[in-house]
Amino acid sequence: MVDMSQTAVLLAPEIVLFAASMLVAVLGLSRSTGTRSLVPWVCVAALVASILALDAVWTPERIQGANLLFPMLGKYGKALIALIGIGLVAVSAGSIDRRYEEAVARGRASFDALRVVRGEYYAFLLLSLTGAMLVMSAPDLIWLFLGLELVSLPTYIMVAVARTGRRSMEAAMKYFFLGALATAVTLYGFAMLYGATGTMQLISMRDLLAEQAAGPGLSATALLGTILTVLGLCFKLAAVPMHFYAPDVYEGAPLPVTAFLSFTPKIAGFSALVTVLGTVGWSGHAMVDHDGIRIAYQGLPQPITAVLWMVAVLTMLLGNIGGILQTSLKRTLAYSSIANSGYMLVGVIIGPQGGIGAMYLFMLAYGVMTVATFAVLATLERKGEEVDSFESLSGLRSSHPVLAFLLTVSALSLLGVPPLFGALAKIVLVFVAFEGGQASLAAVLLLNTAIGAVYYLRFVGAAVVNPPNAKSQDVVAVPHWWPKAAAVVAGVGIIVLPAFLSRLVDASATTVDGYIDLGEAVVSDADDRPSTSTTD
Amino acid sequence: MIVAPAMLSSILALAEGPLDAHAAPELRWAGLALLLPLVSGVLCLLCDWMKIRSKLPAVLTIAALGGAFATILRLQGAVGETPVVVNLFDWISWTWGDGSRFHGISANVDLYIDRLTIFWMLFVTGLGTLIALYGSEYMESDVGKGYTRFFGGVSIFLFAMACLVMGGNLVMLYLGWEGVGLASYLLIGYYFTKPEAVAAAKKAFIVNRVGDLGLALALFLIWQCYGTVEYAALWKAIDGAPASSEWTAQAIPWLLMLGAFGKSAQLPLYVWLPDAMEGPTPVSALIHAATMVTAGVFLIARMFPLFVVNPDAMAAVAWVGGLTALLAATIGMAQYDMKRIWAYSTISQLGYMFLGLGVGTSFGASYHVFTHAFFKALLFLTAGAVMHGFAGQLDIRKLSGLSKVPGFRLVSWLAVLGCFWLAAFPFTAAFFSKDEILVSAFTARDERVHVLGWIGLVVAALTAYYTFRVGFRVFFGPVKYEPGDEHHGHDDHGHDHARDAHGSPAAHGGRGHHGEFHPHAPRWAIRVPLVLIAVGAILAGWPSYRTMLNHDERNWVKTQVKQSSAYQGAPAESHGSHDDHAAAPNVAGADPAHAGHGHLVLGMDAHTAVGRLGSLACIAGILVSLYLHLVNRGAADALRRTLMGSVATRWIVVGAERKWMVDEFYDWVIRLPLRVIANILAAIDDLLLDAGIVNGLGALPAAVGRLFRPLYGGVVQGYAVTMAGGVALVAAWVIWIWLRGAN
Repeated sequence: MVDMSQTAVLLAPEIVLFAASMLVAVLGLSRSTGTRSLVPWVCVAALVASILALDAVWTPERIQGANLLFPMLGKYGKALIALIGIGLVAVSAGSIDRRYEEAVARGRASFDALRVVRGEYYAFLLLSLTGAMLVMSAPDLIWLFLGLELVSLPTYIMVAVARTGRRSMEAAMKYFFLGALATAVTLYGFAMLYGATGTMQLISMRDLLAEQAAGPGLSATALLGTILTVLGLCFKLAAVPMHFYAPDVYEGAPLPVTAFLSFTPKIAGFSALVTVLGTVGWSGHAMVDHDGIRIAYQGLPQPITAVLWMVAVLTMLLGNIGGILQTSLKRTLAYSSIANSGYMLVGVIIGPQGGIGAMYLFMLAYGVMTVATFAVLATLERKGEEVDSFESLSGLRSSHPVLAFLLTVSALSLLGVPPLFGALAKIVLVFVAFEGGQASLAAVLLLNTAIGAVYYLRFVGAAVVNPPNAKSQDVVAVPHWWPKAAAVVAGVGIIVLPAFLSRLVDASATTVDGYIDLGEAVVSDADDRPSTSTTD
Repeated sequence: MIVAPAMLSSILALAEGPLDAHAAPELRWAGLALLLPLVSGVLCLLCDWMKIRSKLPAVLTIAALGGAFATILRLQGAVGETPVVVNLFDWISWTWGDGSRFHGISANVDLYIDRLTIFWMLFVTGLGTLIALYGSEYMESDVGKGYTRFFGGVSIFLFAMACLVMGGNLVMLYLGWEGVGLASYLLIGYYFTKPEAVAAAKKAFIVNRVGDLGLALALFLIWQCYGTVEYAALWKAIDGAPASSEWTAQAIPWLLMLGAFGKSAQLPLYVWLPDAMEGPTPVSALIHAATMVTAGVFLIARMFPLFVVNPDAMAAVAWVGGLTALLAATIGMAQYDMKRIWAYSTISQLGYMFLGLGVGTSFGASYHVFTHAFFKALLFLTAGAVMHGFAGQLDIRKLSGLSKVPGFRLVSWLAVLGCFWLAAFPFTAAFFSKDEILVSAFTARDERVHVLGWIGLVVAALTAYYTFRVGFRVFFGPVKYEPGDEHHGHDDHGHDHARDAHGSPAAHGGRGHHGEFHPHAPRWAIRVPLVLIAVGAILAGWPSYRTMLNHDERNWVKTQVKQSSAYQGAPAESHGSHDDHAAAPNVAGADPAHAGHGHLVLGMDAHTAVGRLGSLACIAGILVSLYLHLVNRGAADALRRTLMGSVATRWIVVGAERKWMVDEFYDWVIRLPLRVIANILAAIDDLLLDAGIVNGLGALPAAVGRLFRPLYGGVVQGYAVTMAGGVALVAAWVIWIWLRGAN
């Protein structure tokens, strides 16, 4: 059984974030403007503290007691969440409550604690990040499920709370309703997995499934349970067939929330996906074919590979083709987010032999690019409203050259122009796909990169090539330095991080350290299956 | 293969063992040579951003380049005979499969430092510092406008060049290669309001892309053939394996050659260099004469082990070099723009360097690179000083007797000194370096290249003629000048005037027939670098003087080159009779059977003969020039008229003056067909692709979208039904598969 005290210490990063979320919820209600403006600082401090705490508590001895399927996943993954979280806080910091705070500062409105949302907004942001971290250290299905819910529930409110207006309300309702549906599918999958194995513990589940695979092959319940779980999680990833909500919700939500939605649920969803797929394993399975002959497969069990393959290809294609037709910036970025999920699914299909590391490397690149792109957009406003059309970006080069440069860099990186970070992360994915024997997936990925050029270059064209027009005349920079700083730091990261590619590849590869895939042993020698303790 | 296998194997046998490189983490400070220019480049960018309108960028750049030079000087003492590899940080290093050869790629940010690296970096950073100092005054009329941009470009250039020369693998070399190309493009197009400058920048960039394609393909093939792109491992791989007869291995030197010919302006890719003179003169001196254009020579010298095993490729290099030298010299004879003449002379001298490489004397080629860097920088910078002083005037017909114009005496005499060096006057540094190349051409093992020795001698005479055509016309004779029409110098004439009053009062003495014009004389920031570079040009001959006076002493440049990859099995070097003269033992192993065998030129020993013939050619050229361009200038025009008068000889003048129509030829053969094809394709694109396929495909997603629109269109139930339907479909499919499998 799990040693609770050790596990509790492992949760130090989450505890820090949780405590900070309570703190900012209160601070946000303060009558003093100075105290209220401290809130983003507290968030950043808490995220930095959680990285430090993570580094201190994540020791091999403690992890052994924690009974985790992917013992080292948390170290890289949680640090990644906190790091990008800082950027997401900075993207939010300029716009949440800004109108109201300005009115208060000018004396046009008196402070009313019921009208501010700053406290709740940042509290929910931190809680959602806490949930994403919890997903990464889930030893069993219940923990995993609660972690996933903690990611999603605050985001439903964030969509609604950060801006008053019908559109964000509608987006929040849609997001909540469809999210509940997807959660139901996931939960159904979990239930079937429990039915197939009789355990909630992920490690025991892996052992039992391996036994099944060695004997009669995976039961239909187990397969179906895994597949339903995968499909339910597709909602978090914004992947086919659960992607429909993304453009509507991304467009309806306030811009900082859109940035948050395109990263946090995605990393939580991918981590949950990797964890669940880890129970069936990538390294080979025996299946019984028509004539009753057992064949060994490399990779995930064949039906799961087939489903994931289809999901990945359709997600890439629908994301990129959908992006072509859009005129709204946020809708375009929603489709970009969908397409990027498709790219990352390629890494998941390949598995621990490089694939998952490549996926997490790409996740880092995607996070940095997301922060850079949204931070630039969050810096701009037109008549007090968010900028949400390509026309508004026209002539950005002459009015805000640095922002135009940063937007160009992040768009080109998303498109995959070497030597920017996004391109190199994508090349690693393609490379891993080739090495993993999925050349067709690699080809689809490259083809989609070409399709994606159509709408990514639209950002560049609008910002750099087009002359200013009537719509872009009134576009000004917001009087806050937070998003500008985030844009500069993330933009520089896109340019500079490729220099450390080798280290980042190594670091992201540590996510699968300590994971034991029993499939291979099962195929080679079904009778003499090594136990967990002897390997690695 | 024309060459008998036996000969090949004997060449291989001569090859020294691989220069085993050892890791030297304690030398990480050598990375400063890259870091400092990069930092100053970034700071220049910041200066531009913060709208700093002062000479600060120049100070930053000079300090950074000086720091890089100091780093290299220190490195010179710190690195011994064996090459060292310094890992700065890991960049690309992956393995897959079992991680053996061909199962991994490693291209970290390493420095590969052998004597060749240091030798090259010494003059790159040293000249770079001096030329930046020169530029700080030369560009001063642009302070607040393009000054920051200029120095940013120079810093980035030095960073890229350091990356190219010091990088430990071909990927870094390639990055540096592209980086210097970019810096070159930015700096040629510095005066971006001038259409000619923009066209020249584009031409340079596009012509270089052809060469870069070769380099990129060579890089891929090297990885494919040898499984590594890191020098240290590459030498081992080459040394261990016999020369492969695979076409891929055979193609590598040819592709590398293409890259080298593009960057170093050789036939057929030389056309960009004369136009590149549209850039500011310090750029012409630094990038397009002294350093960047020698990158091609460096590439072949660095990759010498790949060339020596392929005699055909070597012969091709030699022939291209020799013919380029000849062609460029003939064009140089008939031009009137001083910078353009020096540009053609650069192409011609680069031709000598490739000739040297092709006949196997990587030492001679490197030595010529070294001496050429100094005197050509000197010639360009003096031309720049003239241009700076005479409002952009460069036409040698409109400048005369400058050595008597006060304030220009020093510049003139330094220019004349440079002329002697370029003409390879006996006992100047260039005389020795050219000598090395020509002797090796006459004594090369491959008899197909012997005739190039004679061509080289002819070019030497032509060089002496056109060099002193400029020297005698511009700096001697009656004082007579017309200012140019560039605003550079005119615009800021007012303040220059005031400064000249106390800076160099002599400047006011000079009055040509153009009464109002005062040439403004250069001040210290132009004079000091000129003098230092002139001293450098003189000292560049030092290694040879020592060899000549003291027979025991080995040539310094030679020892540098010998302890590097450029000397692995260099065939001609080990057989050159000149080496057998010297008592110095030959490391590569003098083969007695070959000594003094077939090395006679005109009945004399090759070394003596080339020395005498070279001196003769040089002096003859100078004398002809003296008569035509100083003693009796009318005779030159009369000669031109006579030649133009006869149909039989007319083509010589017209051809040379119009640069043998090579640009026009390329226009007709390459640009015109491309334009025609482009137009045809554009028509097809408009009519067929755009109208039919693209619009059709473009309509497809929209059509698909419309198909589903009734289903959702923003209504949440629609989404929910679709999602649930998707799940149900997948589930049904899986169950079906499972049922089928279970049967």
